[in-house]
Amino acid sequence: MSTETVRTVKTPRNYDVIAWKWMRYSAILLIPLVWIHVAIQDVIVGVHAIAETEGGAFVYVVERWGNPLWITYDILLLAFAFAHGMNGLRQVALDFIHNPTAQRITSWVIFIMWLVISAIGAYAIIAAAAANLAG
Amino acid sequence: MSAFISSLKTTLSGYIRYRGREGHISFLLHRITGLGTLLFLIIHIIDTSWAYFNPELYQEAIELYGQWYFMVQEIILVFCVIYHGVNGLRITYLDMFKPAGWNIPSQRTSARWTLTVSIVLWLPAAAIMGYHLLHDSLGWI
Repeated sequence: MSTETVRTVKTPRNYDVIAWKWMRYSAILLIPLVWIHVAIQDVIVGVHAIAETEGGAFVYVVERWGNPLWITYDILLLAFAFAHGMNGLRQVALDFIHNPTAQRITSWVIFIMWLVISAIGAYAIIAAAAANLAG
Repeated sequence: MSAFISSLKTTLSGYIRYRGREGHISFLLHRITGLGTLLFLIIHIIDTSWAYFNPELYQEAIELYGQWYFMVQEIILVFCVIYHGVNGLRITYLDMFKPAGWNIPSQRTSARWTLTVSIVLWLPAAAIMGYHLLHDSLGWI
């Protein structure tokens, strides 16, 4: 029999607390988002079917970005999964790096990588969606 | 720089030498599966953007993913995604609803269950992807 002690701690409202909460709440949304994405693209459809799409593999992707459901889905996936992953990388990196200046530089480098790669992905989705909408 | 190397060595040797059994293993698996998925995700966002920016290059990338050595990695990636999710659910559930479950004996049990559930979810996906690997990449069946 173990006695249950409820311990409450006051957490400061700083950036790291917000980032930590982001990890947890984005994760809950990511389970359906990522698992459904993987089940469809990797398991049910498969890379070979995508490669052999009539007109080229890009047609498979760009056509999906003509459907508002998949546009929203992929934007959410990009926003939540990549931010979760890059913040996770930051958490792992800061376990190894103890110097405060080096920690700050690492956080900024990861943040900029996240911003640039997210922008590339978002640009492709939005531009393809706009092209589809224009016909 | 030498301070950086020594802190790197302290952290890394802690990763290896700490003998926390199931808790230690699930901590390491959570980090490895997360970082593995992120590595693929970085490549995946960039190559998927080629579907819009550079269709020929996208075709080449997708055909490369269809090669057997990439399909083996894809099957491993799916395990990473499943394990990271199931273990994440376990951590969230225990933290938010049942913190008493963090005592060592029940934590060991839940860590084993996490691995079992992950493998059970992964096996059918791995079987279908394994079929694609043998049928489409290698043409053996």
